[in-house]
Amino acid sequence: MSEENPIVNEILSKAKPGKQTFLGYEESRNVLKAIGIPFNKTKLANSEEEAVSISEEIGFPVVFKVVSPDISHKTEIGGVKVGIRTPEEAKAAYNSIMDSVKRHVPNARVEGIMVEEQISGSELFVGVTTDPQFGPMIAFGIGGIFVELYKDVTFRLIPIGVSDAYEMLQEIRGKRIYEGYRGRPRADPRELVKVLLAVSKFICDYPEVREMDINPLMVTHKGVMAIDARIIVDKSLEAKSPC
Amino acid sequence: MTVEILSEEDKLKKYFHPESVAVIGASANPAKIGYRVLGNILFGQIPSGENAEQEIQERVEKKQFAYPGKVYPVNIKGGEILGLKVYKSLLDIPGRVDMAVICVPPKFVKEVITQCGKKGCYAATVITAGFGESGNVNMEKEMIYEARKWGVRIIGPNCFGVFNTYLPLNATFARDIPLKGPISFISQSGAVGASAIIYGLSESIGFRYFVSIGNKADVTDADLIRIYGKDPKTKAIALYVESFPDGRDFYEAAKEVSWHVPIVALKAGRTSAGQKAASSHTGAIASSDVAVEAAFRQAGIFRAYTFYGLLDAARALGYQNPPLGENVAILTNAGGAGVITADYMNDLGMKLAELTPETIKRISQVCPPTWSHNNPVDVVGDADVERFINTLEAMVEAPEIDAIIILVVPTGTLEMNKLPERIVEIANKTHKPMTASFVGVISDVSEDYLEQHGIPTYSFPERAAFGMYALVERGKYLRKIGVM
Repeated sequence: MSEENPIVNEILSKAKPGKQTFLGYEESRNVLKAIGIPFNKTKLANSEEEAVSISEEIGFPVVFKVVSPDISHKTEIGGVKVGIRTPEEAKAAYNSIMDSVKRHVPNARVEGIMVEEQISGSELFVGVTTDPQFGPMIAFGIGGIFVELYKDVTFRLIPIGVSDAYEMLQEIRGKRIYEGYRGRPRADPRELVKVLLAVSKFICDYPEVREMDINPLMVTHKGVMAIDARIIVDKSLEAKSPC
Repeated sequence: MTVEILSEEDKLKKYFHPESVAVIGASANPAKIGYRVLGNILFGQIPSGENAEQEIQERVEKKQFAYPGKVYPVNIKGGEILGLKVYKSLLDIPGRVDMAVICVPPKFVKEVITQCGKKGCYAATVITAGFGESGNVNMEKEMIYEARKWGVRIIGPNCFGVFNTYLPLNATFARDIPLKGPISFISQSGAVGASAIIYGLSESIGFRYFVSIGNKADVTDADLIRIYGKDPKTKAIALYVESFPDGRDFYEAAKEVSWHVPIVALKAGRTSAGQKAASSHTGAIASSDVAVEAAFRQAGIFRAYTFYGLLDAARALGYQNPPLGENVAILTNAGGAGVITADYMNDLGMKLAELTPETIKRISQVCPPTWSHNNPVDVVGDADVERFINTLEAMVEAPEIDAIIILVVPTGTLEMNKLPERIVEIANKTHKPMTASFVGVISDVSEDYLEQHGIPTYSFPERAAFGMYALVERGKYLRKIGVM
């Protein structure tokens, strides 16, 4: 670790040597926020009242998601509600999720409801993978659920410099999507470059991170922000910094 | 015996500038590699044809040898080959041995490496096959272990040899002797290397250093790129690669060198399904070739996707400087050739220069009104040398043009014996790079004249465009990294 980042250090130190460790949404998000990746606003609510007040604090529309270590597929059991626009809708959504969870997974430990700022915009994608020959690489492209379908993605070996990052933005076939195509939000290229450089530096500092997806990275009228992320740490191989 | 201590760099330089070479496994039988290698070292190229035997004998008697250093054949049987005393062991040789070319059967190679170590010969080229490539991985490992113990470097095994056309040293079993020139080559395939030499002969492509790198058990592409990068006669490095023993090191070496010596590479096997099971989106999209693509781009390696593309690009990069901008103009006396080339350039993403009214006016003064008034600059079919050259001059002086592709179709009105000289005259006075094609001509005197004067001249117009593409991309890379 070339730079001490206590939050990152603490989370990554939990990864056990000798096997791959998947960091979940919460941990991945905390790590990436700590290295300077902007995320949408979120906060945990423990009651109906809190769900309403947090929603107002974050600003409608919001998304509710159940938080439980026992539930992995939230959508399938009615644990997610999107497009919540009023305090009344918030109350109804809170109760609907709680009822639904009780019905489908009666013994689930429920830690609360995550209230998330609902973001609309264009979906991009930033990732990391490790090539057996060339080592860690950073990827950038069009994100969302069709990433693997479109494969509109470009790669660079880590570390990258500013000019590499700018070049990556130019290489995407669908780049007009984030250049303000048909009134869509226009990404400030410097914000995207910042994200790419932060990820590159993160891998230099923490080479035990073998793979990572930030997907989607949303381009909104308010700026660029990450919505979901996952990180895979592998301490089984001796991780040498590429920098 | 006193043994020299050499740096790793100096050891590798011995492959190209040895003062003495031993051929271990030398043979008097012309059908054996041990004879071909020895003969090529001595003569540059072993005389062939009807009077071959007589010519060989004469040259041996008069000591008309190509390689200026000492040559020691080694064979357990002793005796004499091509007039040279054969030593029974490397250790029996009285003087120093800088480079050893080994062509004994595989089971004896390790012992020869030990002798190299004892002798202080640190540059060993193992031509012998039958190691890792045929499943004898352990034998290869043991050989490398022995080499590391003594500090001996190994090119190969399973290779075709090395050469330096300027010394000259031809330590290969090639049939042909390559032309001298600015391109240094590394080939993972001996056959690709050998055929590059033969193509080079018919298309006037000259080489400097050449290594058939074989199994890359010790010396890697990265090692050689670093050595080539220090050679003032190497103007372009061409690589034929199938695999990378250490991708990162290759990347680092290429990056260190490519800002001053252009590198062009053909990576074969790019479509093989080498996709590993991945647990992230990023991993799933990243085929094995994605890393190669990224590494090449970041290291400033121009990537060729075909064998002829490799040679065409290497030729352009070896002979011409990159243009200061991206705007390319075509000069031709053949409308069709111009259109074909413009389309191909568009496919490659190249930019066609847009002529300014000033340039159009100027060309109109030296051409009939039927000229194209546009890029491609078509000076039409009845053009003579004067019209062609005057137009070329106008184009060289036009600020909106950064580089010029010359496409000449030989016609009755164009004196092909005069044109090349006049083109070269103009080319020598400008920094704007040029590539050319004498359309319809595969190879002739006029084409060779241009080629020999540094203007890469191709048999087909698209290939001239591809050579120019390599130069334009080179310019873009140099500007990106801030050295042009």
